[in-house]
Amino acid sequence: MKYAIPVLFLALPLAAQEIKMPPGLDKLAAKASEVVDVSLDGALLQLASRFLSDKDPDEAHVKQLVGGLKGVYVKSFEFDEANQYSQTEIDEFRAQFRPPLWSRIVGARSKKNGENSEVYLKTENNQITGLAVIAAEAKELTIVNIVGFIRPEDLRDLGGHMGIPKIDVGGAKKGHDKKDKEDDK
Amino acid sequence: MMDDFEKQIQQALSRKDPSPFFEARVLAAAKRDARARRANWQMWWASAVAASLLIVTGSAWQYEKGVRERAAGEQAKARLELALKVTSVKLQKISQKVEHIQN
Repeated sequence: MKYAIPVLFLALPLAAQEIKMPPGLDKLAAKASEVVDVSLDGALLQLASRFLSDKDPDEAHVKQLVGGLKGVYVKSFEFDEANQYSQTEIDEFRAQFRPPLWSRIVGARSKKNGENSEVYLKTENNQITGLAVIAAEAKELTIVNIVGFIRPEDLRDLGGHMGIPKIDVGGAKKGHDKKDKEDDK
Repeated sequence: MMDDFEKQIQQALSRKDPSPFFEARVLAAAKRDARARRANWQMWWASAVAASLLIVTGSAWQYEKGVRERAAGEQAKARLELALKVTSVKLQKISQKVEHIQN
């Protein structure tokens, strides 16, 4: 019991800590043929939101979606050759998503082509307050961290709007059930 | 008694030469007045020019600020759209993958 209070004080800053992008990812930019690196904090999101039209239905939808966000961080690399990134960076990023705040809602891995896709959600007081995506393919690595109130399906359903391509999901369900599958074929 | 009074009146009304440098003092005073009036006009003009400059500079600064803010906003919007595009495509692909695995 006498250790409970110091442990609590140590744990509080950890719980409040933001998710950090692995610093090693920045070095990948030199090897990549295409790089997307977007870092938008709350102030920049507010600024961007002011330039989204209320009259255009697509932009109005995005404006509403962005309203609850505090940060959007995306790093995506495309390589000409396979195996250009190390698993360490992904592990470092993944290690930050610890329960009970974070839970993995999707985990799909293919041993055949070395693909690995994971979606994590942060939940506080029964509300989603964060979303993280890891999409690792042989020649591509994408890491997403979205801070704030967001629903993954809202983002997914942006496909077909605002110039975002719509990928035929083949009758994918609207709601997200907990999925954790491993494709070992 | 009457003679004294007359003398006094005569003395008072008699023509007297002005004090030395009277003319110079009058001219100097007139010049001073003219200079003061000119200074007032100059001050007025300087104030008007300064106010106009302030208004022009302020408007230019405001316009420049607006242009800079607009550029930053448009850039932030484009970056946001790019981030959402990447995320949406990835989530759609993950959904597709999960569907594929489930079937």
